[in-house]
Amino acid sequence: MEEIVLGIGITALAGAFATVAGAAEDTESDIGSQGDPNSQVQLAPQMGYIHRIFNKAISGEPPAYGAWCAIGAGVAWALMQINYNPALAIILGSVIAVFVQGIYCTSGYLGRIASLAKFQQPVYIDIIKSLLSVTMAHAFVAIFCTVAMCYLMASALHHPFALPLLGLVWGIALGAAGSATGNPFYGKERQYQNQKYGAGVPISASGNIVRYAEAGQRSSLDNGWFTTKFAGPASGICFGLIVFLELWRTVLFEKMMGGWGAIIMGVVLILVFTFIDRWVEVWGRKTYGPYTTEEASS
Amino acid sequence: MSALGGKAAGGEGINPTGSVVGIVILLVSIAATYALGFSIVPLIGIIIGGALIGFGVHFVPVGGAPAAMGQAPGIATGVAMLAAGAGLAGLFGGAWAYEATGDFAVAVAGGAVGGGLMMAITCLMVNATYVFAMGIPAASGKIAKDPITGDTFPEYKSQGTEGHGLPFISFFGGVVGGFIAGLGGTLIYIELLDVYHAGLPAIMQANPEAIEPLAVSLAGIFAIGFFLVNAVLAAYNITGTIEGPHDPKFKRVPRAVIGCAVASAFCGLISMLIVLNTGM
Repeated sequence: MEEIVLGIGITALAGAFATVAGAAEDTESDIGSQGDPNSQVQLAPQMGYIHRIFNKAISGEPPAYGAWCAIGAGVAWALMQINYNPALAIILGSVIAVFVQGIYCTSGYLGRIASLAKFQQPVYIDIIKSLLSVTMAHAFVAIFCTVAMCYLMASALHHPFALPLLGLVWGIALGAAGSATGNPFYGKERQYQNQKYGAGVPISASGNIVRYAEAGQRSSLDNGWFTTKFAGPASGICFGLIVFLELWRTVLFEKMMGGWGAIIMGVVLILVFTFIDRWVEVWGRKTYGPYTTEEASS
Repeated sequence: MSALGGKAAGGEGINPTGSVVGIVILLVSIAATYALGFSIVPLIGIIIGGALIGFGVHFVPVGGAPAAMGQAPGIATGVAMLAAGAGLAGLFGGAWAYEATGDFAVAVAGGAVGGGLMMAITCLMVNATYVFAMGIPAASGKIAKDPITGDTFPEYKSQGTEGHGLPFISFFGGVVGGFIAGLGGTLIYIELLDVYHAGLPAIMQANPEAIEPLAVSLAGIFAIGFFLVNAVLAAYNITGTIEGPHDPKFKRVPRAVIGCAVASAFCGLISMLIVLNTGM
């Protein structure tokens, strides 16, 4: 019984870490413009729209976060092998991973923007100076929380995978959850804020992203400020739910029916989410209704 | 590349010459495994697992960059990455269940449910974002009517787009895709783990308990590698975006299954060579 109570506590803590990690991950990727909406940031200068948005998408979020979390977890694991305190080891591992992220961001921005030189897009050094530390800070929170969560899984819940492997697995899952949930909000709602609310961006508008703010040109910091209103917390809830429920169903129901208890619980959870999803879909259709001709043509 | 992530470029049919070459590679890999003194049962398991991953990826509704602008339905990220994320979440659950119970069926089912659960939560949050934050209802661009719920889509599709959000059929496809991919990944992991459990103590001349962490880590990292190989192959077959099982591109699935089986056979042979006892 005591083991189960401890397991539930660890599960809750891991879920909380995952929620913070998801929120920080999405905000970091929106400030750095790493998700799929970055295709528009890359496209804009080619269409004649010069901008001051950060642009560091060398790879998608999942492999990038897989690499950073695996580096953080690997260094932390190595330090723990030479008897470092786990908390200190995780912090140091995350710091080293964040420096790798910083190098990635710098080379990503310089390389990507320099490739747009023939479209007269300048490389703004002040953007690197002002935004690099912000993305690194958010990445630190995301990596630290993910590695700490993996440490809990390895040490307290006795998952067979070694810490670096857990870092890789959950880093990729973190990037997948964060980019899936957060990208539409950053892409449609923020970059195409000048388009109609409640409709997709017409393909003909591609590349015409919003480049001006209340005063002066829009910076990626403004994008981070905006996306933390929905996309960040939503990504956090998404990743937090994934981690929490995955651990919860195993910790509580693994022993039942020779292991089938956890599987039945997983199927029940899938059905619950299916019903919620259907409700959300029907709510959207009923509340907004079909597009009318007048709206569509205006 | 167009703004919609590329139209169909690879054709729909199966290339007979390519398929024959692939099947020859597959048979040679199996024969080589047998000739080197390994049991071919684990390799068959790996091949089935790889084919399942390739098959499962085609169910996952992926919209890529156009989905991020509400220009196309699906989840706004890359095919390979999303499938890998779901499959790895499944692998995590499957490996854990195998460690705890040692039961093959429980572990494989645990991996499948883990992948399905990850996709169910992700798809729900995608729809919540579209509906509650962006005010956009779900609409498919490829079909006029949802085959499961009967909802009609043309009037809910905003002008100048190919649809947006995740209609129920796409949600269903996502969950099924995560389920199959998680199942395939866990199958590969378990087969590799058994091979390493048997082979590593012999070549390292250590007792089985001592090499347990090494065997688990090797099997885990190879399983992740298999995941990425098969997910990327399937992504090439899809070329860009897919809405789910109702998408016309889904008909290309046999080609991906053949390709993934061949790639898994060859990679499976390589992954077994690690524990080849050369007598040195």
